[in-house]
Amino acid sequence: MSGLSDGAAARLTLSRDNLLPRIALAVALSLACAAALIALSGHNPLTAFAAMAAGALGSAHQLGVALNKTTPYLLAGSGVALCFRAGIINIGAEGQIAIGGLGAAATALLWPVEAALPAILLALAGGALAGAAWAALATAIHLFRQVHEVLVTLLLNFVAILLVQQALAGSLGEFGAGFLQSPLMPHPVWLPRAIPGLDAHPGFIVGAVLAAGLSWLLWRTRFGFSLRVAGASRPAAAYAGFSVGRITWGVMLLAGALAGLAGGIEVLGVQRRLIEGFSLGFGFKAVTVALLGALEPLAVIPAALFVGLLEAGSLSMQRQVGVPSSLVAVIEGLTMLFVLAATVRRRAG
Amino acid sequence: MRGEAANPQMTTLLQMRGIVRCFGAVRANDGIDLDVASGRIVGLLGENGSGKSTLMKLLFGMLAPDAGTITFKGRELSGHRPAEAMAAGLAMIHQHFMLIEAMTVAENVMLGWPQAGHWLQRKTIAAQVRDASARFGLDLDPQARVADLPLGRRQRIEILKAILRGADLLILDEPTSNLAPAEVAGLLAILRRLKAEGRGIVFITHKLPEVLDVCDEVVVLRAGKVAGRAATAGVSRATLAEMMVGRDTTAPHTPDARPPGAPRLVVRNLRGPGLDVSFDLHAGEILGVAGVDGNGQLELADTLAGLRRAEGSVRLDGAEIGRATVAARVRAGLAYLPADRARTSLVRSMTIAENLSLRDADGFLLHPAAQAADARDRMAAYDIRAPGPQTITARLSGGNQQKIVVARELGRAPSVVIAHQAAWGLDPGATRFVLDRVIALRNAGAAVLYISSELEEVLAIGDRIAVLSGGRFAGVVARAEADLGRIGLWMAGQAA
Repeated sequence: MSGLSDGAAARLTLSRDNLLPRIALAVALSLACAAALIALSGHNPLTAFAAMAAGALGSAHQLGVALNKTTPYLLAGSGVALCFRAGIINIGAEGQIAIGGLGAAATALLWPVEAALPAILLALAGGALAGAAWAALATAIHLFRQVHEVLVTLLLNFVAILLVQQALAGSLGEFGAGFLQSPLMPHPVWLPRAIPGLDAHPGFIVGAVLAAGLSWLLWRTRFGFSLRVAGASRPAAAYAGFSVGRITWGVMLLAGALAGLAGGIEVLGVQRRLIEGFSLGFGFKAVTVALLGALEPLAVIPAALFVGLLEAGSLSMQRQVGVPSSLVAVIEGLTMLFVLAATVRRRAG
Repeated sequence: MRGEAANPQMTTLLQMRGIVRCFGAVRANDGIDLDVASGRIVGLLGENGSGKSTLMKLLFGMLAPDAGTITFKGRELSGHRPAEAMAAGLAMIHQHFMLIEAMTVAENVMLGWPQAGHWLQRKTIAAQVRDASARFGLDLDPQARVADLPLGRRQRIEILKAILRGADLLILDEPTSNLAPAEVAGLLAILRRLKAEGRGIVFITHKLPEVLDVCDEVVVLRAGKVAGRAATAGVSRATLAEMMVGRDTTAPHTPDARPPGAPRLVVRNLRGPGLDVSFDLHAGEILGVAGVDGNGQLELADTLAGLRRAEGSVRLDGAEIGRATVAARVRAGLAYLPADRARTSLVRSMTIAENLSLRDADGFLLHPAAQAADARDRMAAYDIRAPGPQTITARLSGGNQQKIVVARELGRAPSVVIAHQAAWGLDPGATRFVLDRVIALRNAGAAVLYISSELEEVLAIGDRIAVLSGGRFAGVVARAEADLGRIGLWMAGQAA
C-alpha cells in the first residue's frame, strides 16, 4: 500500500449527527440558489419548479423515465460506496460503465441467442464481466505497481471511452450511420418494461435488490467487517490479520461488475444500441450518489432516486419553461454541492 | 542551578514556577519549576511520559497549564499561542523538521516569517543566511534545495530560522536522535557558539554522554515532578542514569519468584531493519524488555506478531511460526498488545463488541446477537465501563480502551503474550489491572514478553530483565541480580 492512499482513504468520512435536518437545509439552500438563477435568466422560478416536479413525478411515463435514469447511478453508486468504505477511492465507475456497455453490446451482437431471458442474462453477464475486468486492470496496477488508486481509476476512464469509440469505429460500428454507434441490438436482448403501468425497465428493481445485498454483505459478513476495518485503519486491518490486497480485489471486482452491469442495462434497456458517449458522466455522478448515500448501500437507493428525479425534472423544465440546458446543469451541480457540504467532512488527522 | 541563576553576569531568561497540567486523572506535570539563564544550556532529562514534552508544549503555548506561571524575559506569558511565543523570542526545534523539501534553504527561511516582507527579497535573505551561517559555523548554502541535504543540515536550517527570527531561547527536542556521530559533534559545536552569544538553550534528550558534554546543568523529570537538579560539572553518567530511572523500584506489581518452565517461544537470529535478537521465553516467565524508545522495541513486537517481515526462526511450542500470517499466529496462541492503541489494536470508530471480536477469524457470517452477548460478559469480567457493547470505542477513556484490548488478547488464554507499552498513559488503577492480568496469565503457565520504556515497571514485573539497545539485547539478567547502574549504562549504550 502506498502511504498516500492510506492517508487519503482515512480522511473522507461522513458526519452523522443531525443528518436529516442538514440534508433538508442543503436541499432548501440549493432550491433558493436555483430560484435566484432562474429568476436572473428571466423566468419565473415557481413555474420552473412546477414544471420540474411535473417532469419527474407528473405521469407514469415520466416516473418511468426517472427510474431508468436512476438505475446506473444506483448500481454503480452502491459499488463505489463499498470501495470507499474499504478506504479505496475508486473513481473508475465512468470507464467501467462504458466498458460494461461495450461488453454487453458485443455479447449480444456477436453471440445471438433466440430465447429472450437467456439472451438478456448472457449479454448482461458479458457487461458485468467486462466492467469487472476493467476494474481488475486498475486494481492490478494499483497493487502491483503501487500507483495511487485515484490516479489509475481516473486515467483508465479516458482509455475506456476511447476504447469504446475505437470499437464503434471498427467492427462493432454501424456502417454509414454518420455517427459512432453500433447496429440496433437484436430483439431478444431488449429489456422488457417490467413495472406494470410504468415505462421502466427492471434495472431499478435489480439495483435496489443488489444494494440491499451489498448492505447485508457490509454489515453481516466477515468480509464486510474486514473492509470496514481496512477503511477505518490500515494498521488495524493488518493487526487483525486481514489482507488489504484481498479486500481491495474483492471490492474493486464487485464495484466493477456493478458498473459494468449498469452499462449493460443502459445499452439493452434505454439506448438499444451502443452509442458513443452513451454513459457520459454516469460514473462521476455515481461517486456523488455514493457520498450522498452516506456510503451505505441501502441509503444509496434514495440518493440515486433523488438524482434521477432531479435529472428527469430538469429536462422537462428545460423543455417547457425554456430554462437553458447549461443552467440545468448548474442547478444540478449546486444541489449536489450543498448536500455534500452538509454531509461529508474531512476527519482531522 | 538556581543559585547560579542569581549570578549577576547572567540574566534569567525563563522562569517556570509550579507548573501543573493534568490529562484526566494523570498529572503529566505536577508542580515543576524550571529556570534557564542566558548563555546556559540546560539538559532536560526523563523517560517517556515523564512530562518533558508536556512542559515544553505548555511553554510554547500549544497547551494551557492548569496552574503555575511562566515568565520570559521579565514578562509573564499566559494564554499565549505558539505564534506569540515565537514573537516573544522562543524557538522550538522539533524532532521532525518542518521544512518544504522542494524549496531552497532561503525559501524555507522566508516561509511563515512576516519580517521577510510581502515581496520576496531573495538577495537580502540569502545574504542574511550566508552571514548567520558563517557566524555560527552552520555551513549552509542559501540556494541549496532541502531535498538534497542530509538530515544534519536540515536541522541546521531550523536552527538558522530560530537565529534569524531573533530567538533568545531555543528548545531542542531530542535533536540528536536522527543524526550520525559526526553530525552530532557538529551540532554540539553550534550549540556552544549560540551559548557564547548569550542565548539560552533547553536540550531534551535521553542520551547521557551528550548531556555531560554540552550542558551546564541538568533537570531530571520523573512522573511529572522534578526528580533532581545538578550542575553537570562533577556529575557522573551513573548518577544521571539513577536520577532518571529513580531509586525506588519496589512496586506492588512484582510477581512471586518461581522457577521457569520449558521454553515456549524460541527466537533465533531474528533479523530485520533495526533488529537482531535471539532469546528463549519460558512457560511461567515474564521477560521484561527495557530500553530507550526507538531502539528496536516496535520492530521486535511487530515482527513477533507477524506485522513485519524478518529473517530467522520463531518457534512457538515447537512449531515454526516465523513465516506464518498474523491470523495463523493468533490461532497458534500468540497474543499481542501493541503500543499504538489509536490506530493498530483498536478501531476507534467501531463499537466495543466489534473491537472485542477484531481478531476472531472464523466463519463467513457475523452473529451480532451472540457477539453482543459475549461482549457483555467480557465487559463485566474485565471491568470495561461503558453504557453497552454498542458504544463507540472512541467515547471511552484510555484505560477502558486498553481494557478492551486486554480482554480480547488475554481472554483467549494465549500461550505467549507480547505486550508493548501495555500500561502506557493509564492511571494507576488501570495500570494495576493490566499488570495483574498479565501476571495471572504468567502464573497459569503462559510466557510473556513485556516491553516498556518505563524501567520501574519492567524491573517490577520481569522475572528476567533484558535491555534493547540499537535493535539488540545489550544484556539480560535475572531480576534478583539487576543492578540499576549497569542497566542504565546498557540503556545509554547506543550513544556511548
